[in-house]
Amino acid sequence: MAITRINVGPIHPSTHGVLRLVVDLDGDTIVKVEPHIGFLHRGVEKLVETRMYMQSPPYMEKIDYIAPMSVDELYVSAVEKALGIDVKERAQYVRVALLELQRIASHLLWLGGICNDLGQLFTAFMWVFRDRDMVLKLLETATGQRMFYVNMRLGGMVRELPEGFDEKTLEFLDYMEDRMKEYESFIEKNPIFIQRMKGIGVLSRKDAKEYGVTGHVLRGSGITYDVRKDNPYYVYKDLGFSPKHQTQGDNLARYRVRMMEIRESIRLVREALTRMPGGSALGMPIKLISPNAKNRTVAVSRENPRGEEMMYMVADPQRPYRLSIRAPTFINLAALNHMAQGSKFADLFSILGTLDLMMADVDR
Amino acid sequence: MKIERSNLIESVRSLKKEGFDYLLKVTAVDYVDHLTAIYFLRNLSKSVDLELEFDMDPADLWVPTIMEHHPSADWYEREMYEMFGIEIRGRKAKRLLLEKWDGKGSPLRKNFKWAEPYESM
Repeated sequence: MAITRINVGPIHPSTHGVLRLVVDLDGDTIVKVEPHIGFLHRGVEKLVETRMYMQSPPYMEKIDYIAPMSVDELYVSAVEKALGIDVKERAQYVRVALLELQRIASHLLWLGGICNDLGQLFTAFMWVFRDRDMVLKLLETATGQRMFYVNMRLGGMVRELPEGFDEKTLEFLDYMEDRMKEYESFIEKNPIFIQRMKGIGVLSRKDAKEYGVTGHVLRGSGITYDVRKDNPYYVYKDLGFSPKHQTQGDNLARYRVRMMEIRESIRLVREALTRMPGGSALGMPIKLISPNAKNRTVAVSRENPRGEEMMYMVADPQRPYRLSIRAPTFINLAALNHMAQGSKFADLFSILGTLDLMMADVDR
Repeated sequence: MKIERSNLIESVRSLKKEGFDYLLKVTAVDYVDHLTAIYFLRNLSKSVDLELEFDMDPADLWVPTIMEHHPSADWYEREMYEMFGIEIRGRKAKRLLLEKWDGKGSPLRKNFKWAEPYESM
């Protein structure tokens, strides 16, 4: 058996960022994949230690630049927990609505990316950009920014939702539901797509646990754990959230989990907007932050679009003493070697695509 | 839950039998006079989280590897070695995880020296 060693990356269109893979092949079959990471390491965890609490959110957003609000919200929640600040009820609904909109945008971009990776469906890539842009426009009306929102304050939001936001969003959600049918009809009936997804990159239930994968990868392997359900935050419990899962553990299962999650997010946004209570959603002005941390150490988990992101913070009065981030894509990438073994080389990129990597998140 | 370093492997093994079979994260904190290693474990079916932590003397920095019980510890342990200089005993592979680091010291330790700002622009 002669092993051929192939280098992929660090600059490669299908790695979605700067990722280098050293692949050992026997013929066309993968024997081993070794990811080399760190090209995008910026030392976020160290830099946070040098800044006051509310100086960090803009930088936190760059950890996940496809779904920035989710990381921003996670960091602000960790600070809120450390300082013992409660989030206003209306703000909880606003956050849930915006976060789920963010999830739709993030999942849509992933859908376009995976179709593009499979080489045949550039149509999907164009279509998702059209729909994602509608979400971004909604988020822009709500926050003032198209991509990096910095929309959280301790205990609430920077600003109230604008007039007419509800109607526009509900209109979009109706439109999006129709679009989802359209996506599924032309993607799932495409034999190339199915052939390159079904039975490829299988991760069994047992291995999913052992390799510690998270998010849609975990749920695609038949484990229903979702932070929104199992360790609920904000109003997810009241909105009746139920996690989506598949049991096959292959690429197609991960794709289906994500499609179901978009539908669930559409339902959650609609529910949150219709049930939203009155009152104010505004958070505390930055200068009013109490300099006393109530809890020295806090751990906060959130179900972000890419999986479970956790922040473990050791709090000092003015700034974090230590912030440790559990990056979902970091640990999903670590399982790549196991998932890709035995597959053909060409399938490596469909497996990599379904992991939905975010290299800024992996390297931090 | 506070434990002793010598009990780590035994605790992880017995907890795994009790259902804590998912490793969420391994990390460390530098408190200057001592370092703390923290292991986040989870029981997925009951949705219960558990933290194991123990303190280490800065002059005697090492942890035993738990890869035998949790293969997912692989990258976390390598990250710990690279960021804190904590030796991982019982591991064969020693390649740095991020591997672009060519300076001295462990970046997430409090005694780490930042690069001098470049001021002659």
